[in-house]
Amino acid sequence: MRIPCPYCGERDAHEFSYLGDATLTRPDPAAADAEQAFHDYVYLRDNPAGAHEEWWYHANGCRQWLRVTRDTRTHAISGAAPARKSGEPA
Amino acid sequence: MADHSSHDPLAGLRFDRVPPSGTYGADGEPGVTVTIPETPFIALVVARNGFAESVTGRLGRAFGLEVADRTGAAIGAAATVVGTGPGRFLVLSKTEPDLAGTLRALLGSEAAVSEQDDAYVTFDLAGEKTPDLLAKGALIDIDPRVFLPGDAATTVIAHIGVTLWRVDEATWRLLVARSLEASFTRFLIASGAAFGLRLENGTAGRG
Repeated sequence: MRIPCPYCGERDAHEFSYLGDATLTRPDPAAADAEQAFHDYVYLRDNPAGAHEEWWYHANGCRQWLRVTRDTRTHAISGAAPARKSGEPA
Repeated sequence: MADHSSHDPLAGLRFDRVPPSGTYGADGEPGVTVTIPETPFIALVVARNGFAESVTGRLGRAFGLEVADRTGAAIGAAATVVGTGPGRFLVLSKTEPDLAGTLRALLGSEAAVSEQDDAYVTFDLAGEKTPDLLAKGALIDIDPRVFLPGDAATTVIAHIGVTLWRVDEATWRLLVARSLEASFTRFLIASGAAFGLRLENGTAGRG
């Protein structure tokens, strides 16, 4: 499996480490239902058959986080974008 | 089973010591020559958020190079600037003893600068079999028709993190973390023995 790193170009998946679902948003810890929301955020995952957005870290390359779109059935990767938008606060 | 021990180019070499200078493997004209050049002064420049473009321009003007914020090595007489990540550059110079200080003065608060003089060992590989040797450990395409002079990559070779670039038609330069010098030299010998490999690492470091 090869991942098209936006900075380095196409690289072998061995150079990366995998984090997981990139579609989740951290809940508001001040909200009334924060406890349940955090339980769902930490533990509950969909298991889609098809296109999936996920985080990959290019540890042995540019050391940047990427948002990769991968088909979970075929491992075909249709895109990879930097997780961090240039110019945004870190 | 045949006894191959007499053909093992690493036979008798301690695994935790850098192998000595000499010729390893096949007889005749070596296909690859490995030299450890006098360590250049090295500094890492990381542009602060939003300053990548400005830092890229300042580095280029200061050293008279075409520096771009991408993988690649801009090679000049005064310095070499290698892109290793977005807004991140390794700067190497043989003539600037206080390279980090010079870069801090140049870039001010636009970038974080750290001295890396002793972090890396520099390997210069030359000879027509160099791409064949590197291909035995690399995950990227380093075919000389694809990986051209001035191209650079931060990647893994033989499971060891490497930043490499092609200096000119015949020469490839690799930076390897200093503590992995012995391991990486063993990889070079084991993989280059088939072509004949001459190792010249006799020069002492700066200490």
